[in-house]
Amino acid sequence: MQMNSPTPLPDQQSTISNQQSSIKPRRRLTLSRELGLLLLLILIVILFRVLFPTSWNYFATFDNFSSVVRNMAFEGILALGMMLMLVGGTFDLSVGATASMVGVVTGWLMKKAGWPVPVAVTAGLALAAFSGFINGFVVAKVRVNALITTLGTMGIFSGIALLVGGPGITFLPPEFSRLGQAQFLGLQAPVWLMIALGAVGHYCLAHTRFFRQFYYVGSNPKAAFLSGLNVERLQIFSFTLMGLLAGLAGIVYAARVATASSTVGVGKELGAITACILGGASLQGGRGTAWGALLGVLFVALIQNMLLIKQVRPEWQGIILGLVLVFAVAVDAILNRKQGR
Amino acid sequence: MPVSLLQMRAIRKSFGGVEVLKGVDFDVRSGEVHALCGENGAGKTTLMNIIAGVHSPDAGEIVFGGSSFARFPSAHAAQRAGISIVFQERSLFGPLTVAENIFAGRQPVTAWGMINRRQLHTNAQAMLKEVAPDVAVDATVGDLSPAQQQMVEIAKALSLDARVVIFDEPTAALTGAETARLFAVIRQLRARGVGVVYISHRLEEIFTLADRVTVLKDGAWRGTVPVPETNTDDLIRRMVGRDVEKLQASAKDSFGRVLFDVKNLSDADTKGAHAALLKNVSFHACAGEIVGFAGLAGAGRTEMALALFGVRPRGSGEVTLDGQRVTIRSPADAIAAGLGYVSEDRKESGLFLDMSVQRNISAARLERFGKWIFRDGEESAVAQEFREKLRVACRDVDQDTGHLSGGNQQKVLIARWLLVNPRVLIVDEPTRGVDVGAKAEVHQLLRDFARQGHAVVIISSELPEILTVSDRIYVMRAGQITGELRRTEASEETVMRLAAGGSD
Repeated sequence: MQMNSPTPLPDQQSTISNQQSSIKPRRRLTLSRELGLLLLLILIVILFRVLFPTSWNYFATFDNFSSVVRNMAFEGILALGMMLMLVGGTFDLSVGATASMVGVVTGWLMKKAGWPVPVAVTAGLALAAFSGFINGFVVAKVRVNALITTLGTMGIFSGIALLVGGPGITFLPPEFSRLGQAQFLGLQAPVWLMIALGAVGHYCLAHTRFFRQFYYVGSNPKAAFLSGLNVERLQIFSFTLMGLLAGLAGIVYAARVATASSTVGVGKELGAITACILGGASLQGGRGTAWGALLGVLFVALIQNMLLIKQVRPEWQGIILGLVLVFAVAVDAILNRKQGR
Repeated sequence: MPVSLLQMRAIRKSFGGVEVLKGVDFDVRSGEVHALCGENGAGKTTLMNIIAGVHSPDAGEIVFGGSSFARFPSAHAAQRAGISIVFQERSLFGPLTVAENIFAGRQPVTAWGMINRRQLHTNAQAMLKEVAPDVAVDATVGDLSPAQQQMVEIAKALSLDARVVIFDEPTAALTGAETARLFAVIRQLRARGVGVVYISHRLEEIFTLADRVTVLKDGAWRGTVPVPETNTDDLIRRMVGRDVEKLQASAKDSFGRVLFDVKNLSDADTKGAHAALLKNVSFHACAGEIVGFAGLAGAGRTEMALALFGVRPRGSGEVTLDGQRVTIRSPADAIAAGLGYVSEDRKESGLFLDMSVQRNISAARLERFGKWIFRDGEESAVAQEFREKLRVACRDVDQDTGHLSGGNQQKVLIARWLLVNPRVLIVDEPTRGVDVGAKAEVHQLLRDFARQGHAVVIISSELPEILTVSDRIYVMRAGQITGELRRTEASEETVMRLAAGGSD
């Protein structure tokens, strides 16, 4: 059957291709989402300086900055994993629960079972990867929708976290917390870990053949399959890696505060998704970068910090952040539509 | 004196800077069947969409029901005004029943505002009886065959009791009997004074059914003539206009060794997403040869390609590629074995529309640019080469493929598979939605590729294309091969006879 789509573009261009190739290629006018967010952030910081000069003095100190990025590390690591998921066209709602569960199990192994720290940490990471694998298997092989699967595992993992950890496991061994609190150039270890993961993640996503495949899968899974990509295997990999990173985030957090909290991850999965979207990911898949994820987390963290310094009531924070998210994404959508995307 | 129901004057329309309609005139009289024909991209569907209120014209006017205006404010308004269109693409609601679809949005209601099911049933029954007596009123539309769904669409359009009814390629998926029934319905409409617009590529139908015919070419009006005063050649000349390079008929009668040998390919007897369709499909293709697969929609050609490519769960059969038995369970297997497949729907399952031309071209052969670290520079250079060789019109290889026109998109997709360089390449509807110029270029590409010693299998619903490009033609019907023809013995009639079975 001949196709006559309602909006056909007559293909005149193929016959004038020779003329086209002599036209200088125009610089793309679209602002990349990451750059746009960075500019927006700078704008907000400048506004803050202008409007609230006294608060600025608290804001613009190294101590404050160090504290902001320190608190950012947990969500930063989650967001890096989540960015890979979103690039591949899916997402994982169980990451917060995984972080809590793995943190608590690792803490239990160290404290209650008396395992040496390296062994406990390895076991915790193995559990993390395994939980990710389960998600991946159910989504990719059994073909259950990612939303439902990870919603389910979110419940299971948070339940396990509470079972094992109760209200939390305190006073973790000092060999452990020493790692989490070590400092270098004024910034704590978790921050450097986040930065290192960001750099590695960015390089992998941008320059390796293996991770390039996720963009294809996210952009058009059918076409990716027909091009010979092993979509199922890639999906299982991304879920496993996500689980591993979530567990890592939980362990690192526990090391920093020397306590394994069974609820540290609550709500953090949505925060990670929000940060990634701000940073350039699309819910449809096929877009996003590692730096974008961290930028998104930084953006939210700085705004929260400003609100805190201004002593804005916590109830308002949710509202303001929600508005900022909608605003940032809407501006991007409008700009892109103008370009005729 | 025939009453003019609808007049369109000097209609212009552009999409994204490209002019699709260049000042077209069109009118419909009561009690006539007015055919509209032209190549793909000529503007037929756009013109009809303007009549139906789906698009608004950039310039020109519409005269309907005595008043003249610039556009219909909405499709709904056009519908209420008495214009009904049966789209080529389904606009039915799969999970709902036939009756619910026919009267969607206009269900008969009781005094309380609740849907009057019995009335709905009766009314739907009345509409269906004329058009599709074998379809049950409470059947779920999603379970019907494409042909039956089309009949439901037609029943829906009829139920609107319109003054102008537009049919857009309605017989593409219909059998002979269904087509005859449709024609009877259309003649009834004409007798009732309705103005019928009939868009079709099938010139025989136009000569059977229509009173007048209008030809569009590249968005321009190329004449409106009473059917008795014209003939096939005249219409074709108006439609195509310039001399399209006739593909040099390959003088060869024998080709190289058998490269691709398929024996008894059959579907497994399964229920579920893939109904068993293929039955003992056997064919072969030689090096240097282009083998065409003709057939009506639903004949199973794409299903066969998907089975060979490892997408469709395969039942039984033997596939030999260049002398070696191969078992293919996934596209990755197929590619490794030396098989390529240019999919039927380039937008849905072929291209990565939000990715660049360069990334689209490398998609099926990423390892060529590095096992670990990806060599972007090399990818770009290779893409540039293809861009020049295939004359893809794009700003640069970094441009998003979604911005390209259909013909150029198709070239990018083909480039991807040329890069893979399979020994056997299957192309499925390679020039669907592609203009005449690009079509010829694509055909030449395929011919050159075959000449390099590969085998090409082309699946197409456009008979002229199959006849022009293929060295040998297989015809399929209902999952089986009904015939094999050499180019010299093939004609539209011989192929059609094998494709349609000649029985209905």
